[in-house]
Amino acid sequence: MDSKSCVRIMKEWDIVAARQMGREIAKNLGFGTVDQARITTAISELARNIYLYAEEGRIYFEAVESLELKGIRVTAEDTGPGIKDLSLVMEDGYSTSGGLGAGLPGVRRLMDEFDIESEVGKGTKIVTVKWVR
Amino acid sequence: MNLQIQINEQENKSIIHLSGEIDVYTAPKLKEALLPLTKEKDTIIEANLEHVSYMDSTGLGVFINALKLSKEYESKLRLVNLQERVFRLFQITGLHEIMDIHSTIRGVDG
Amino acid sequence: MDTKDLDARNYTELLKGYVKTRDERALYGAEQISKTFIKNNILPEEIVNLHIQALLEIYPELHDKIQSSMNFLLEAMISYGLAHQEYQILREKQFEIKSEIHVAARMQKMLLQSNIPKLEDIDLGIISVPANQMNGDYHHVVKGKDGSISIAIADIIGKGIPAALSMSMIKYALDSFPENIMSTDAILASLNRVVERNIDPSMFITMFYAQYKPDTGKFYYSSAGHEPGFFYHSKENSFTEIEAKGLVLGVNPDTTYLQYEQEIVKGDMIILLTDGVTECRKGEQFIEREEVLEVIRTFMHLPAQEIVNQVYRYFERLQNFQLRDDFTLAILKKVV
Repeated sequence: MDSKSCVRIMKEWDIVAARQMGREIAKNLGFGTVDQARITTAISELARNIYLYAEEGRIYFEAVESLELKGIRVTAEDTGPGIKDLSLVMEDGYSTSGGLGAGLPGVRRLMDEFDIESEVGKGTKIVTVKWVR
Repeated sequence: MNLQIQINEQENKSIIHLSGEIDVYTAPKLKEALLPLTKEKDTIIEANLEHVSYMDSTGLGVFINALKLSKEYESKLRLVNLQERVFRLFQITGLHEIMDIHSTIRGVDG
Repeated sequence: MDTKDLDARNYTELLKGYVKTRDERALYGAEQISKTFIKNNILPEEIVNLHIQALLEIYPELHDKIQSSMNFLLEAMISYGLAHQEYQILREKQFEIKSEIHVAARMQKMLLQSNIPKLEDIDLGIISVPANQMNGDYHHVVKGKDGSISIAIADIIGKGIPAALSMSMIKYALDSFPENIMSTDAILASLNRVVERNIDPSMFITMFYAQYKPDTGKFYYSSAGHEPGFFYHSKENSFTEIEAKGLVLGVNPDTTYLQYEQEIVKGDMIILLTDGVTECRKGEQFIEREEVLEVIRTFMHLPAQEIVNQVYRYFERLQNFQLRDDFTLAILKKVV
């Protein structure tokens, strides 16, 4: 397995490609079925955000290791419009009220670590990690 | 009961047809549709309330907001075909004297 | 073993038992265990996974295709799990907001508690009941040194917190006006300037402001677009609507108001109200304003506070004890 694998998101079917690659990597790292499904759902959400709002971006996967843990790092990066009010999109019930799915709070819940940076007019970068239990 | 909004934009004139009830639940929808129309200079915004059977004070608030904006942006707001019960609300609140209420139906003179 | 493992053990045993016996007792056990799942925040995808593990233990030869189908179900449960977690958080948040509103409502009650002054020649009764926790109606009664009485009744558009915030504004503005030297129209004009400067463009306030002066025996009043009240003339035993023109507060900074006057004699009544009284609904039908008068007539022989209490009770019952709007009714009865 490459230490860094990447999927470009331009059309809807790229979401499926990202899911597939992410699941494969998670499986090889030793994640159980439930966590595989959670990681994949998080990837879907990140990829769909790129597809819907940024038009173009990429998702990449890395295997990470700390002292005792190993895990997967999923990074979503786009050059889209950026997010003006991060607190608002991270608020529970904000994005889901329009029926858009789990939203970013959902991604944060599915993963163990979550970080987001965004600049209006430049783009958004979201870094998430899940550790093998 | 719901509120249906249909906007018909012509040159220098927008007609907004409303039907249903304007209350605390439907007023935000009206606000979203009506306020942007008032920000075009020199246009006439005509709200047709023929099929509005009920309006509460929240609804009046939206029209007051629209009136303030139309003064600021130099557009014109006009209400037409108000039902008696709805017109009474404009009358009690004194708004009929500062708003352009063109015609009312069911025997009430504007 | 932690509780999760214990639940897993129980689940497997119950499932084993049920498959063998189809016994209702095992199903009752399933009900119990589902309650502990909820209590321990076990998400649906974990329950599906538990089921898969239990199946594999009971049927080590479980068909590959069945297992795949169970994984498919697990995948379909993930978003339910997220929605459930979100629901939990929103429920906690709602609880927080509720207790905040509760405190605010208590503060507002203190703001509203203007002790009704005792007067020699006027019997005054007031009732004000909010539809929800916060009241959008306001009333204010002040007794002057010369025995005069001033009463304000206001309805703030909308309900809840924004209305309550506006209310504290008008209370402090009214308190700051010099007592009794201003005419009712001047008070509304000053108040209008305060409100116009400080209120959201889609909000407004209606107010009826009245003064009774014992030395002239006259009732002076002005209205800022407020729902008209009624006079009761004892001589003719009839009601008339209080006519007063005036624009609501908060629309135009230069609005001026008119002061009206009416002589009142012993036995006359002044009835002031908000639209929560006249906009009562019977089912889908609105009551007519005349109906309010009929009800008042029924209780008219009672002391003023009793009249307003009884009228409120009547309309509360008519609306199945669920007020749609804040309800405020004041009655002034000339007794001397």
